[in-house]
Amino acid sequence: MAYLHLFIVNKSGGLIHHRALSHHAPQIGTNEWLRIGSTFHSLHAIAGEASPVKAKHDGIELIEGEGLILCCFQTRTGIKFVITAEPGTRFIQNVLKEIYVAYTDCALKDPFYELEMPIRSDLFSEAVNDIMGRFGNR
Amino acid sequence: MSKSGSITAAGQNLWAKVPKANSELFALTYGSLITELIRDYDQNIPEINNQLDRIGYSIGVRCIDELFAKSEVNGVQIPSCRELRETAEVVAKIGFRMFLGVSCDVGKLTEKSFSLYLSENPLSIFVELPQNEVGVDGSSSHGPDWTQLKYSNVYCGVIRGALEQVNLKVECEFVGDMLQGDDVNEIKVEVKEVIADGAGEDYQEE
Repeated sequence: MAYLHLFIVNKSGGLIHHRALSHHAPQIGTNEWLRIGSTFHSLHAIAGEASPVKAKHDGIELIEGEGLILCCFQTRTGIKFVITAEPGTRFIQNVLKEIYVAYTDCALKDPFYELEMPIRSDLFSEAVNDIMGRFGNR
Repeated sequence: MSKSGSITAAGQNLWAKVPKANSELFALTYGSLITELIRDYDQNIPEINNQLDRIGYSIGVRCIDELFAKSEVNGVQIPSCRELRETAEVVAKIGFRMFLGVSCDVGKLTEKSFSLYLSENPLSIFVELPQNEVGVDGSSSHGPDWTQLKYSNVYCGVIRGALEQVNLKVECEFVGDMLQGDDVNEIKVEVKEVIADGAGEDYQEE
């Protein structure tokens, strides 16, 4: 049971951050990541439209498979934080919310960070490492 | 508990969780920002008001995420706003409380606009605006017209920026300012447009 990958998609579907959360996460090239990010963004929008319950339009929150779970948290400002993990991993929603806080503290408060742009911040990476440490990843 | 009561409690709860800065230092820093702007823009008051609004906008588009993020991890529920009254309450009771430690009152509510009344303004402690210069013959001179200065105009920008992130295009104006001798600080917020989300019209089913 371990977290595998984290990626963050901005509100127009651009990938703004991706990283592996453990060393046995599969290697994925940057171009593939960009494709995954925008594909997920579209699927999320389609899922929201296709939902029979009109009162809530949340899109994809969780995909479960035999070898993988994918958990998505969309903020009200439209940014999507997505984590993939091995089945049985717990607290993913909590981790996503903690990462949202790290994003507001480390990326948004950096005056040189431009909204919607890729996050290249050491502080943010450290904060995510810290969260991973607290939620017991090896 | 009434709805507005629970929003007030949510604001207080969040205020208790965020790190604090010294209020005097805060007011003095803002004051030095203003004097710097006055120097940079050569006492061109309308331009200074404009720049304050722009600064506020950049703050607003970023700080709204902090409000949502911190409320999520602290278990504070912020209801989805269905009507403007709720939006106004959240701005007044949660936004102002969490970031400034004061709360303000909502008034003059209509379908498209509301006013925020700020009885305490943490930005303007210690502040006295200079008097307009009067020429020797008693006529008004060429000095800047300080009655035009919107000292706390940064609020307007913050509200505009923050609400734009949640698909509300608004216009804000500082209509009453205690520094200018008004009874209360009043910020008027007017909704211009609700930006539609989701697929564009071209993709909608017939």
